Amino acid sequence: MKSVSLAVAMAAALAVIASVFPTPDSVLAASAPSIAINVEHATPREIEETTQKSLARDYATAWQTMTEALDQNRADLLSANFIGTADDKLTATIQEQTKVGLHQHITDQGHTVDAVFYSPEGSAIELHDTAHLQIDVMDGSKVVHTENATVHYVALLTAAENSWKVRVLETVPGF
Amino acid sequence: MTKDSIEVKVKLGGTMAIALLLMCCFAIATHAAEINVPAAVTAGSGLSIPSSGSGSATLYVVGPGTAIKRTVRLGQEIQLSADELQNAGRYVISLDGNSATFFVTAGPVQSIAFLARPSRVPADTPNVVTGTTFVFDKYQNLVLQPQPIKFELTANGQTVGRTETTKSGVAFAKLDSSRKEGPAQFVASSGAASVRRVVQEVASDPCSIRMTAVRDKNGILARTEPIHDCAGNPVPDGTIVTFTATDAKGKSTVDARIKQGVAEAELPASNNATISVASGVVVGNEIQWRGGQ
Repeated sequence: MKSVSLAVAMAAALAVIASVFPTPDSVLAASAPSIAINVEHATPREIEETTQKSLARDYATAWQTMTEALDQNRADLLSANFIGTADDKLTATIQEQTKVGLHQHITDQGHTVDAVFYSPEGSAIELHDTAHLQIDVMDGSKVVHTENATVHYVALLTAAENSWKVRVLETVPGF
Repeated sequence: MTKDSIEVKVKLGGTMAIALLLMCCFAIATHAAEINVPAAVTAGSGLSIPSSGSGSATLYVVGPGTAIKRTVRLGQEIQLSADELQNAGRYVISLDGNSATFFVTAGPVQSIAFLARPSRVPADTPNVVTGTTFVFDKYQNLVLQPQPIKFELTANGQTVGRTETTKSGVAFAKLDSSRKEGPAQFVASSGAASVRRVVQEVASDPCSIRMTAVRDKNGILARTEPIHDCAGNPVPDGTIVTFTATDAKGKSTVDARIKQGVAEAELPASNNATISVASGVVVGNEIQWRGGQ
């Protein structure tokens, strides 16, 4: 009986520790969204198959990171996938959210993406992304706004050491 | 009319009146919380939103770089400052349970991100210099409205240029390098915004190679004349030139670098050899060596 109590106490303690110190796996618990990229209209340079695959992988990871960061108000998650203006503006959003106690819970239902520009030297790609999202703006645990939205994004990605990073991510009314 | 039927009519009338009253209240409440926002505003412009009703409510605004929660008085104008609307993108505004969305769009071009490649190019070569520009406003928003971008490449007083129009914030151009080697100024500009890069133009491949050969104490000394590209630019020192001597014993090859415009190599002594010279894809003259004659 004593050993059972000890085991329960240890399990409870571990649960508390796990909740206080989330592991990277639990931070990025949501799976990467589905990204369908069409590269047929990319100019002036054609996008190679390997580039297309890495682009889809890195852009999906960026979205996964961003939704987690906006939900948990964790700006420190962004730097692995965002750089420059996109990183600055997302960080500012999270800082402002933190100040007033807001966060955004985004359920990512998938992206239809057109690569429209691939620079001649191969260092920059522009995407037009039509994203299907459920967006909940939360004040603490209270939902203050909820919507199922189709949102259009212009994304500019630049080549980093071994991945593509999002440099610009802007929502637009349409393409 | 019986007493019962009068009672039924009174009850029905009362129910309808209550329903009507509720509908009116709902309509008034809905109207009170309605948010009228423009579809789009320019970055860095403030926004004044009319509100109706009375009392206070909590305003929420979430957008790029922005998250606002504050108490506002209904019936008064709700002000969003220029600082709060600097970043282009989609904003959600929520007031008293009602929501609306609007877009902030980029302002005029203020800066240009300019990728110029490569940093070193052969002279007198078509479409060899590429420039890619991304245009931004003063708040680092990508300017998506089409903008003219002037690309100019100037070397030795000679300028080649082209104007392209941005599409989704991007424009690019491919330009020819000039005939003469030297540093070229590569400028991209739009309105008052301008960015400069330097591209080093160097001699391209040799136009032709001419060599002579003389006997020396260790064998045969082969030496080129000064090597130029087809525009007359001296091919840079360090460029590899390959000398080959073929005789009955086999083939001897020496790779030499150009020094002060010429390349030279010492080949094994032979009484009957064919000596050739080449650099890259350019093959020079051939010498039939007959023991120094």
